[in-house]
Amino acid sequence: MRSRLIVNPNLCTGCRTCELACSFTHSVAGKPGLSRIYPLDGGFKDLFVPVVCLQCEDPACARSCLVDAITRNPETGAMELDDKKCVRCQACVSACPFGCSLFDRVNNLVVKCDLCGGDPACAHFCPTKALEYKPIVPKALKSAG
Amino acid sequence: MVNITINGKLVQAYEDEMLLTAIRRENIDIPALCHHEAVEPYGACRLCMVEITKDEWDGWKNHVTSCLYPVEEGLIVNTHTPTVIELRKTILDLFLAGSPRSTVIRKLAAEYGVTKTSYEEVPDGTDCILCGLCTRVCDKMGFSAISAVNRGHGKEIAPPLNEPPPDCVGCLSCAYICPTRYIKFTDDGKTRKIWGRKFKLLHCEKTGQPTITEEFARYLVKNRQIPEDYFKINDLSHRKELALKMGEITQWGREE
Amino acid sequence: MQISTPKQLKELQQKFQDKDNKLVKKIIVCHGPGCLASGAEKIFEEFQQVLSKKKIKGVTLEALKKTGCHGLCEKAPLVAIEPAGILYTRVKPRLVEDIIEKTVKNDEVIPELLYQDPETKKRVEKYRDIKFYSHQTRIALRNLGHINTADIEDFIRVGGYQAMAKAITKMTPERIIDEVTKSGLRGRGGGGFSTGRKWATCRKVKDDTHYVICNGDEGDPGAFMDRAIMEGDPHSVLEGMIIAAFAVGARSGYIYVREEYPLAVVNLQIAIEQAREYGLLGESIFGTDFSFDIQINRGAGAFVCGESSALMKSVAGEVGEPRAKYIRSVVKGLYDKPTVLNNVETFANVPVIIDRGAKWFTGIGAPKNSGTKAFSLVGKVRNTGLIEVPMGTSLREIIYDIGGGLIDGRPFKAVQTGGPSGGCLPDSLLDSPVDFDSLTKAGSMMGSGGMIVMDDRTCMVDVAKYFLSFLVSESCGKCNPCREGLYQLYKLAVKVSEGRAEEDDLEKMEKLSDMIIIGSLCGLGKSGPNPFLSTVRYFREEYLAHIKEKKCPAGVCRELIRFEINDKCDGCTACILACAYNAITGKKKEPHVINQDLCTHCGACVTVCTRNAIDVI
Ligand SMILES: Cc1cc2nc3c(=O)[nH]c(=O)nc-3n(C[C@H](O)[C@H](O)[C@H](O)COP(=O)(O)O)c2cc1C
Ligand code: FES
Repeated sequence: MRSRLIVNPNLCTGCRTCELACSFTHSVAGKPGLSRIYPLDGGFKDLFVPVVCLQCEDPACARSCLVDAITRNPETGAMELDDKKCVRCQACVSACPFGCSLFDRVNNLVVKCDLCGGDPACAHFCPTKALEYKPIVPKALKSAG
Repeated sequence: MVNITINGKLVQAYEDEMLLTAIRRENIDIPALCHHEAVEPYGACRLCMVEITKDEWDGWKNHVTSCLYPVEEGLIVNTHTPTVIELRKTILDLFLAGSPRSTVIRKLAAEYGVTKTSYEEVPDGTDCILCGLCTRVCDKMGFSAISAVNRGHGKEIAPPLNEPPPDCVGCLSCAYICPTRYIKFTDDGKTRKIWGRKFKLLHCEKTGQPTITEEFARYLVKNRQIPEDYFKINDLSHRKELALKMGEITQWGREE
Repeated sequence: MQISTPKQLKELQQKFQDKDNKLVKKIIVCHGPGCLASGAEKIFEEFQQVLSKKKIKGVTLEALKKTGCHGLCEKAPLVAIEPAGILYTRVKPRLVEDIIEKTVKNDEVIPELLYQDPETKKRVEKYRDIKFYSHQTRIALRNLGHINTADIEDFIRVGGYQAMAKAITKMTPERIIDEVTKSGLRGRGGGGFSTGRKWATCRKVKDDTHYVICNGDEGDPGAFMDRAIMEGDPHSVLEGMIIAAFAVGARSGYIYVREEYPLAVVNLQIAIEQAREYGLLGESIFGTDFSFDIQINRGAGAFVCGESSALMKSVAGEVGEPRAKYIRSVVKGLYDKPTVLNNVETFANVPVIIDRGAKWFTGIGAPKNSGTKAFSLVGKVRNTGLIEVPMGTSLREIIYDIGGGLIDGRPFKAVQTGGPSGGCLPDSLLDSPVDFDSLTKAGSMMGSGGMIVMDDRTCMVDVAKYFLSFLVSESCGKCNPCREGLYQLYKLAVKVSEGRAEEDDLEKMEKLSDMIIIGSLCGLGKSGPNPFLSTVRYFREEYLAHIKEKKCPAGVCRELIRFEINDKCDGCTACILACAYNAITGKKKEPHVINQDLCTHCGACVTVCTRNAIDVI
């Protein structure tokens, strides 16, 4: 079963470790890159929501990409953006209803979450397990196990 | 997988990929000015030329553009033979004669030891090297707003009839992809100007930040079925909105 | 009238022959490009009028024929009276009545209208005795000058479509390809690739669609062989294409005709419609399951569109730019489908090969270069025109026997073959044979068949400059070595011709040429430096004269010549009048002088001087 990045806002303390982990994992020329994940204010006291790409089924980012630079990685299920193909038109940045395609002004790059190729650093470093990368097990199997 | 030899080293390459891709994977630096992954290979700048041969070719050698030569089992590739280097030097020298002020060309030519063109500088030479990337990416994106006009030495890139191109949406992909940064545009956060046309930018209703042009958004709505209201706010506001929505849902769970 | 069996075709041929046999005389009015330009249509109308007025026994309007190029364009317009084979040259409408009265009616020859041998000054009555004709062997041009243009009846009468009938009903595609391969037929469009091998490769590609395309772009300046065939004998091209289509399994074909050839389009269109009417194009040809149809495409008016990949892009409605050749068009051509592309003349040869067999064909020509080749012979020869000779014929035979030598008996200097990217060969190579391999070895090429003869007043630097400038503007402009490289090569040639060059510039040009050849994408660039390379190879001293002595030995390059008035001047003042720069002064009946500071070397004075009093130095 394919793993997914599971977000549990109840456990998020807003510590922003995920942001750091993401930045460092996606460094550009030795410098930290733009994070693809943000713990944002959930609108209630002490409630933070880590916002990250949902790897949608029929994603607006890929649909809006006119040079087919965003495609699904069949192994991880992540919608990956091929920077070699990207022409910086930023259609995806505008089209994603969750704002999860981002434009990195410093490095002139369009970036989005790629699940770190199957081992997302954010989940790896999350101290409270508000972010977890794990297989989704069907209910029937779960009870049997 | 196919086995090829690049500069004496045996490497494996994926079937159907082009030589240039395999060469670059080996971290061998060869120049390529008309190549971009977003568009089909074209073979116009000729800088990526390499020498190829095979054991069974009895010493016969050929020079091909690696950007559009598909890898083949048993191919022996040499990327820096004296002839290949001489060829790149000549091409860069010729480019330099046509675009003497281009920093990109000057830098690349200098890497091959050409600091000043040995030919006559082309009168009214521009930084455009006719690599065709702008027109190809514009075609690929479905606009075909600009194209090459004339042939021979008088060839240039221009919108139809040299008027502001009606099919342009101001996405700036041509300017981005231009290897010599010849395609000029301006963007003051309100309007964008390119190819003699003016475009109004959309602004996030919440932050007031500019996003893409109205025309580009309209194109995406019409041709790519992106709901129109997605373009009302920018990515940051989208994220904030998502956080608030999820926050609300989470809060229900807490209250129960 | 639908022909559904070879037998029907034979019967039809018999019928047309019988009809033809009733004609006691035929009056051939050449409608080739040269004759049309000199008023052949007027002459034809005149013949019609006079013939319908005078009733001559056995000579009806049917006797009057409008044929394709007869060949001797130099003496256009031409009228031939058959079967006697009398050829009248430089015919004028007012002479038509005379011709009918004397020659047609009373078999009396009009000597003034006959061809005059430039050497013996004798008038030649029968055109077959004229050396221009007697040294030729006509295969591709077999029907030109004999049958009506775009007339299927006349074409069937002389055996047209019989080869196609044989191919479709009696031969397998493999047999056809085998025959064409064995015949050694090589592409007449320039490359000289084996036609049979090309067809075999195409046939082997598994695909549901195959295409056949005829290349009628003929962009070489001065060449008009393909034009003459398309205008004068379009059915031969169709027949060749149908055979090719049957052999490779194609259902549709295209003929790509150069923009500047409207008459070729008209005649091909007529021929296609006639062929459809007769059931020779369309569904179930000869009652078999083979179906084929042909469409005409108008060229984009660019030389480079004659290149195979550019042509296919143009046919598909895209910009005519060549693409890289690593995927061959026989495998992935038009619309990415396997495609056979052949030249007009190549197709015109095919029916004859099928009809008479590979063995017969290989008996003509030279080893590995079987058959004949058509040329348009132009330049400083006496008999310019359209010719066809067996491969391996020497340049000397073509220029001196067929061409009648140089105009005014001037010395021969060079002959240019292969079109703009061909090369110039000097007199030391006059005895070398004309075939694909020998020409390439000599640094020129066959090309599609242009042949330009140059005399001693031609400057080879100027020639190279001319062809380079043609290529600079006709390159598609896609790849750098061709677009920028040829431009710089041209600029350097200009530098030489203006006396600004230094000796190492020649070396620079040679090095640049090598790089253009290696680096260019298509055949245009890869052969583009030829005009320079071949002239510098054979006429290096002439380049050096420009560079070192700052002189143009042929007296052509304006910057390096000087005009001076010699003692033949009798003070007629014509040159003073002609000089737009007021550079000539002098009184009436006194020798004039040219002020060298004002002279721009335009040559106007030379044009008007009737006393031969102006020297070019
Ligand atoms: C720049 C260029 C121009 C060409 N022009 C012509 C042309 O006008 N007519 C022609 O038949 N072939 C032309 N060719 C050759 C064609 O590419 C092709 O080889 C030919 O049509 C194939 O037919 P064949 O095998 O019967 O010769 C040209 C080639 C190049 C490189
Ligand atoms: S990158 Fe291959 S030719 Fe330009």
